[in-house]
Amino acid sequence: MSSEQDFKPLVVAFCCNWCSYAGADLAGTSRIQYPPNVRIIRVMCSGRVDPQFILRAFEKGADGVLVAGCHPGDCHYLKGNLYARRRVILLKRLLETIGIEPERLRLEWISASEGGKLAEVIHSFVKELEKLGPNPLKEVVK
Amino acid sequence: MSKSGGEEPRIGVFVCHCGTNIAGVVDVKEVAEYAKTLPNVVYATDYVYMCSDPGQELIKQAIKEHNLNRIVVAACSPRLHELTFRRTVSEAGLNPFLFEQANIREQNSWVHMDNPEEATRKAKDLVRMAVAKARLLEPLEPKEVPVEPAVLVIGGGIAGIQASLDLANKGIRVYLVEKEPSIGGNMIRLDKTFPTLDCSACILTPKMVDVSRHPNITLYAYSEVVEVDGYIGNFDVKILKKPRYVREDRCTGCGKCAEVCPVTVPNEFDLGLGPRKAIYIPFPQAVPAVYTIDMDHCIKCGLCVKACGELEAIDFDQKPEEVNVKVGTIIVATGFELFDARQKPEYGYGIYQNVITSLQFERLVNASGPTGGQIVRPSDGKPPKSVAILLCVGSRDQKALPYCSRICCMYSLKHAHQIKEKIPDAEVYILYMDIRSFGKGYEEFYNRVQHEGVKLIRGRASEIWEDPETKNLIVRAEDTFLGKPVELEVEMVILATGVIPNPATEPIRKALFITQSPDGFLLEAHPKLNPMSTTVDGIYLAGMCQGPKDIPDTVAQASAAASAASIPILQGKIVIEPIVANVDENLCGGCGICESVCPYGAVTVEEVGGKRKARVNEAKCKGCGSCGAACPSGAITVLHFKDDQILAQVDALLTG
Amino acid sequence: MPNRYPGIELATRIVMKNLGIELVDMEGASCCPAPGAFGPADLFTWRVLGARNLSIAEKKGVDVLTVCNGCYKTLYEVNQDLKSDPELRERVNEVLRPLGYEYNGTIRVRHIAEYLHRDYGVEKLRGAVKKPLEGIKVAVHYGCHLMRPKLRRELGDSERPHLLEDIIEATGAECVEYKDMMICCGAGGGVRSYDLALSLTLTHTKIKNATEAGADCMVNVCPFCHLQLDRGQAELKEQWGVYYGLPILHYSQLLGLAMGIPPKMLGFEAHYVPVDSFLEKLKGII
Repeated sequence: MSSEQDFKPLVVAFCCNWCSYAGADLAGTSRIQYPPNVRIIRVMCSGRVDPQFILRAFEKGADGVLVAGCHPGDCHYLKGNLYARRRVILLKRLLETIGIEPERLRLEWISASEGGKLAEVIHSFVKELEKLGPNPLKEVVK
Repeated sequence: MSKSGGEEPRIGVFVCHCGTNIAGVVDVKEVAEYAKTLPNVVYATDYVYMCSDPGQELIKQAIKEHNLNRIVVAACSPRLHELTFRRTVSEAGLNPFLFEQANIREQNSWVHMDNPEEATRKAKDLVRMAVAKARLLEPLEPKEVPVEPAVLVIGGGIAGIQASLDLANKGIRVYLVEKEPSIGGNMIRLDKTFPTLDCSACILTPKMVDVSRHPNITLYAYSEVVEVDGYIGNFDVKILKKPRYVREDRCTGCGKCAEVCPVTVPNEFDLGLGPRKAIYIPFPQAVPAVYTIDMDHCIKCGLCVKACGELEAIDFDQKPEEVNVKVGTIIVATGFELFDARQKPEYGYGIYQNVITSLQFERLVNASGPTGGQIVRPSDGKPPKSVAILLCVGSRDQKALPYCSRICCMYSLKHAHQIKEKIPDAEVYILYMDIRSFGKGYEEFYNRVQHEGVKLIRGRASEIWEDPETKNLIVRAEDTFLGKPVELEVEMVILATGVIPNPATEPIRKALFITQSPDGFLLEAHPKLNPMSTTVDGIYLAGMCQGPKDIPDTVAQASAAASAASIPILQGKIVIEPIVANVDENLCGGCGICESVCPYGAVTVEEVGGKRKARVNEAKCKGCGSCGAACPSGAITVLHFKDDQILAQVDALLTG
Repeated sequence: MPNRYPGIELATRIVMKNLGIELVDMEGASCCPAPGAFGPADLFTWRVLGARNLSIAEKKGVDVLTVCNGCYKTLYEVNQDLKSDPELRERVNEVLRPLGYEYNGTIRVRHIAEYLHRDYGVEKLRGAVKKPLEGIKVAVHYGCHLMRPKLRRELGDSERPHLLEDIIEATGAECVEYKDMMICCGAGGGVRSYDLALSLTLTHTKIKNATEAGADCMVNVCPFCHLQLDRGQAELKEQWGVYYGLPILHYSQLLGLAMGIPPKMLGFEAHYVPVDSFLEKLKGII
């Protein structure tokens, strides 16, 4: 069980430029601390997040993937976040069939003023992933 | 993999210390050394402030000396300095889009301050990812588009008026839209203004008249903005003119119609304290001086039509009218509303007659108000001999508004002064938690009011009840200086209600895609350096819609917004980022999914040489990339955020 | 169900049976424990004991119903805390599991007043009243823990609430406004044990104001408030030499009278302030 203690999950986060990436910047400006297990990739809109980006991340061994966008109704591009929501829901089903826990994929709405929420999301996601353990594909890839 | 221009990438990596902001946590030297080991990186270094002149010079020198063709800067957020560094590389002769920034400050050193080891590891990952993307960057050409030389100002309070006049005086066309029948906003309701006590109407009405007469201002009063389309430089705005049932081009404002109108209802402008007719102007100095019929109360008796006579201004069949205008920039100045004091039922507003709000008091004490400026209490119309003013009603309250409304301390001190002035033998109490008299001349005014004999009690009132016989009110509070509970019997209570965002702002906010902060006010681009802009290019903020502020601050922000909104217009053209969708026709199968997901109608499928292919209208495309994510064959993608560029970041992170 | 005033328990059981609501006994349940005395002393132990009680109801698959504001505060807030904080729940369960209990957060905690108001419904309640208590003036006593803290309840405004007025008026009685209606009875937070004189000052204000407003009785929804308002009057007589004789009724007792249940079955004999004169007044009605 000690390996579980040492396990540090790695999260790939796709954040939209207008809300969630700005929210992550605000967390920084406000010095809100969160676990260093996340790497953020900036996209213009959560609607830009192609399912293949997420699948590639899991394939290469990411323990979790976060897609973060503006709250419904607030999307800078009208409805890109709603597309993201549909894609994530479907993709979760697909993940289940290929043996990846759907909880490893999260969609969150984080506005530009919600630095605190971003930190909370990362805290709880990392905690959940610690429970789930490493991405099962990692073994296969090895 | 595509290597733009066919040349082998030669990447330079520059790691910023940002003083100790980054270097205090991240081992920047180690990160720079690590960068040197990455493929295609031919040069890497660190420097104390990359954004400074010497820092930028360092980049330019390195580009020349090492023949670099891709630049990665690991520093703050690209939202802060991407444009700075794009300019730097462009000055060194590189295409500005051959630059990539790794965010190792806001998203690293500032959020992992107690974990330098992990933060350094994360910085290396982020640099590796940025280098991977940089390797695949392509040169892009920014496009210039002309700017429509006009500004839309939404809201005709003091903020909108000030902004409109500033712009109009610069020679810029302004469309000012106000939802109420007259401009003037909340300020025109006020009697005197703190701390100088000059009369609000006396200083505002000349500006209102200037607005109506200015050749560069088109005023749409009793109108609403219903739709906004486009982007900075080219906004298409749809305005809905609500029917007044009185023709603006014919009404002279003589008022004969209202004299004969038999229907009397409470006047919203006086917050219900005074009456108006069903055909009305809200107050005598209204601009435009055009009457409006309130169809909810009109009985269509036709007396007004007769009184109007030959002018024939009254038109019961008037319909809503749609107006379309094109503007280059937009200023939002939609103001505030008062917190509803009924939400603090312990103070009895709406239950006890003699509990009123501050804005109601403004109407009472106003010479043009319902009582002609006499301070009387509602229950018996007599001047109150004792008044308690309760501060922070709604504000600074975990159960209501967490923020300070910033104006209540000062207007309440002014109210205390006005009561003392008009009823010298009245006892006036102010119950406060803190007096926040922070502006120019404010503390001095506070001292003056104290010397006038106003009694200040430090303690928030807990409850109020009424003596049913006298209709007097008993206010209970803890005097925190004495450490004792106190009970005051007074003849009238004024609740200094806080301010909340105007609910009418919300549909406008959604139409403009601008964000709000957690308190519900509109979010500024930067709280200190850019408080008059939004995060959307070409849209600016003025006044209370951005947060509570007094008149001087509102006017200052309005002028700042007007100045900011005029910049693109005076430049005449703006540069649009070339981050748009792009189709590889060899891969496109013409399925049309991209067309169906595009929110802007920017992608269409057309016949090209007998085959169906997607086509992008770059003027309409805003670069969201929804099409790219939906395309089943990877044929359509967004420049600068191409599939292979994003996948390279993923791969670099997980296989590095 | 509290041990003080068995009459309140009796009245509640009869009333609920007559309303067609089945009560399930929680065998093995302990004190809630009291929020004012235990909570501040050791927050964690307070939560563990509360969670133990909740887990008993969970096992039976029923919501918890209380007739007491103190029990309500403890159980409601513990339930809220543990539901929203999985880490805390785990720590609590670590203590409970060896004892054979486990908290899972599957049930809700209800107060009889709030349950009757929101779920049973005021209209239906009015329908169950056989003898409308017309002409009876009631002084309402909410007690502190029912509505407050506002941000931890979902019962609306805590300063001028109308929840109790609604269900009291359903019995046909009339609620009278009196000064300082929302103040404490004087008992809670350990005040009664620590400083009886101070506690009686509050009780005195309350009883005096209600009497002056012309109330025939005071209705509460909490046995500890009930004790303070009832026995407190005896103590005021002893120590201050003032006596008001204002009958104190728990809501279950008032509703019982209105439903036509004989007073003998509503446990009035355990009261300090006799309710005889009050029952006399009701003679024409019940």
